[in-house]
Amino acid sequence: MAQNQAQRTPPPLIPLRFGEDALLWAAWLYYVDGLTQNEIAAQMGISRASVNAYLADARTRNIVSIEIDPDRYRALSIAQALRDHFGLQDCLVIPSGAGERPLIDRLGAAGAQALSRLAQSGDTIAVTWGRSVLALAQQLDRSGLQDLRVVQATGGTTAKIPWTPEACATRLAEALGARCIPISAPAIVSAPEMRGLLLSEAVVAEQMQVLAQANRIVLGISSLRPESTIHTSGFFDDVAMHSHYHAAVGSIAGRLISARGEPVDGPLDGRTIGIELSHLKAIPCRIGVAGGMDKVQAILAALRGGYVNVMVTDADTARAILASEGYDEVPGSRREGERPPLPERTGVKKFLNRPQDAVNETVAGALLAHEGVLAAVEGAPRALRAVRGPRPGKVGLVIGGGAGHEPGFFGYVGEGLADAVAIGNVFAAPPPDPILAATLAADGGAGVLHIFGNFSGDLLNFEMAAEMAAARGVPVRAVVTTDDIASAPADTRAARRGVAGNVFVFKVAGAACDRMMPLDACADIARRASQRCYSMGIALEPGALLDSRRPSFQLGPGDMEIGVGVHGERGIARVRLASADAAADLILDRILDEMQPAEGDRVALLVNSLGSTPQMELYILNRRVRQRLRARGVEVHRTLIGHYYTSLDMAGVSITALHLDDELVSLLDHPCRSPAWTQC
Amino acid sequence: MLMFTRTDLSDLFRSLAARMAAEQDRLAELDGEIGDADHGVAMAEGFAAASRALIEGEADGQTLADGLSLAATTLLNAVGATTGPLYASALLRAAQAFGPHQAVPFARLADLIPAMAGGIIDRGRGKPGDKTMVDAWLPAVHAVQDGQRRGGDTAAILRAAALAAAEGAEATRAMMAARGRAARLGPRSIGHLDPGAASAAALLDSLAGWAETTVGRRG
Repeated sequence: MAQNQAQRTPPPLIPLRFGEDALLWAAWLYYVDGLTQNEIAAQMGISRASVNAYLADARTRNIVSIEIDPDRYRALSIAQALRDHFGLQDCLVIPSGAGERPLIDRLGAAGAQALSRLAQSGDTIAVTWGRSVLALAQQLDRSGLQDLRVVQATGGTTAKIPWTPEACATRLAEALGARCIPISAPAIVSAPEMRGLLLSEAVVAEQMQVLAQANRIVLGISSLRPESTIHTSGFFDDVAMHSHYHAAVGSIAGRLISARGEPVDGPLDGRTIGIELSHLKAIPCRIGVAGGMDKVQAILAALRGGYVNVMVTDADTARAILASEGYDEVPGSRREGERPPLPERTGVKKFLNRPQDAVNETVAGALLAHEGVLAAVEGAPRALRAVRGPRPGKVGLVIGGGAGHEPGFFGYVGEGLADAVAIGNVFAAPPPDPILAATLAADGGAGVLHIFGNFSGDLLNFEMAAEMAAARGVPVRAVVTTDDIASAPADTRAARRGVAGNVFVFKVAGAACDRMMPLDACADIARRASQRCYSMGIALEPGALLDSRRPSFQLGPGDMEIGVGVHGERGIARVRLASADAAADLILDRILDEMQPAEGDRVALLVNSLGSTPQMELYILNRRVRQRLRARGVEVHRTLIGHYYTSLDMAGVSITALHLDDELVSLLDHPCRSPAWTQC
Repeated sequence: MLMFTRTDLSDLFRSLAARMAAEQDRLAELDGEIGDADHGVAMAEGFAAASRALIEGEADGQTLADGLSLAATTLLNAVGATTGPLYASALLRAAQAFGPHQAVPFARLADLIPAMAGGIIDRGRGKPGDKTMVDAWLPAVHAVQDGQRRGGDTAAILRAAALAAAEGAEATRAMMAARGRAARLGPRSIGHLDPGAASAAALLDSLAGWAETTVGRRG
């Protein structure tokens, strides 16, 4: 059979990205590149009859069915795009996948595959250092090649890391059965004179001579981000990087390169012992092994500079590199069977006068609608206070944020809730002045509590306002809400956004203030409520901005955006549109996973429209939410359902669960009267 | 000697405001990709308000420090958001740098850049590579320092700073956002220009253009 034949005598020229799979290569050339069978025969160095057999085999083995296996298709087409764009000799892209094996290991294995395919008897292979390079060396099988030499590309370091230049070279030489030539000098020496002396030592000179003869190099690419391993490598220990190397974004063999891939000079140049970048670029075969989102900029720089001509990376990294080069439609992001997009939704209709007046007109309308509850704060058009809220001896509660979330935030101002609110422009934090005005209006002599969502603008402006209030003798505590579980992993909870869970946190804190609890106790209970709040949203359509009346991002007709925020910002992932029950499950899975409620635990539930999703759909979702909670033995103490915290006219839902305890239950049940939440 | 006066400050801010108005839609679009699309409005309204306040304040015999402080508080209270505090801090630092003078030698104009960048970095605590406006401002600072060391003329130094900022902004495409709203997108922020870096580059380009025109006009 042709297949067996192919395995006995593999054509010598199979490009790396096809693995050992001649069938896949043939199928690719035929179905994707559109070559004729004759052309394929010529390219693969086999007969036309074999090509024909390969193609038939490819189909019966389901390599080619209706489509090429999507993971492989994606990795292959990205590899091809990367190769074409940067003029590489070859490129191997592995699926990024969330497999059990760490990315570094899998990159190492792929790099080992590339090197074992490319290496030939008699080669002199230079090698740099790093985690990926060591992983490559560890996963290489003995090659059976002869007269190989492996030479360290830089001097050594004494750093306490497993992937030093010495370790990488030794390990690679062992794996290849090659002779190992170290560089018997430090990578960085104390002074240029010392470098001169060392390079003229006969042993080192001879080793550098071997390095100069290298015809291949295996190299890692370091990012200079703070979390990069380069900072523990011993290469740059005593150099103030940013004073000399501010233009550098990456490092290869201990040399620094700029975003454009140009060498960045600095004081280390004269003190570095190792391969120079100009020499490195002259080596005919330069295999780069690197991946990871933190390295995108560094790898891009290495590719732009031409330091690599065989690239081994993973699909996510490759896609990000291509996106950074302005590829609009990165291969693989297209989906099979996608319906043609609907005409773009332009010019969304809205009831507006001049867009720039919208927020002030909203505030004016709210003041009239809620006359007995809300009042203006003298001299501060963007601050409102509760008519019956602030009183002597009571901690004042001030909330606030951008407009566009109505009834957030002024809807939660009133008796038993917040005492005052500061209102910014649409989706923009209010400046310090209205926050200060609200703080002074809420002050009853017992201090003021600020509660707002975790966004950089709110943090900056509330922080400035708190400093100004403190200067006037009003002590302020701030509680920053972080309930959006989709916005950052659980171990970096402090980085999460504060979204619809605000509603519960405001309620609990407002009740605590109303019960005349002291400032620190009010802050503690608000913080506890925030930490026990879990929210997640799904958008079906983006909201449209007031000025442009255009959607703030694009969402395909068959897509929904998971983990979306409340400012029209995109979420964490885009998935196929799902049924109401499946959508509710997506959210509940995450919430229950984090909350870990015990049987019999109580929650408060908020099923919130993000703007244009109607009440009807909220009830459908709520039905499924309750099924899930009942199955988990969780009791629902109170449900809010409707428009509580919106994102202009975004279509979508957010679900919030507050994990209750006795004190939170009592505070939640405390009476309140505000535009958006009234209970006796 | 060619001087930079309080009247020039108003004129400069008129140019900056016009440029931000022209960039508003592009910035909104960039911000829509990875943020909340408010950056265009914030920059346009903030600089428009600062420019109006500077023109109105001219009659009061203000110094450059007065003018820049006024611009700072006006901009802050016009926009809030993240942009407000960051640029307000930048302009307050510039006010300190220029001091209580009606005019300074024109060559001092380049000192605006390190002063403003210092204010932004101290307030926002951003680091290079975080995919923020710092990635445009810092390269501009280095370009100014290089230029001043070599003793180039002011318009040329400002132009070099603008080019460095533009290149820095372009480099944010390959960065993963570590601060601000885009940070929640993680890897999905890669491939997009940072809107704050883009507006910073546009401001610096406008500053260089203003200096070139002014030097040309006055010979």
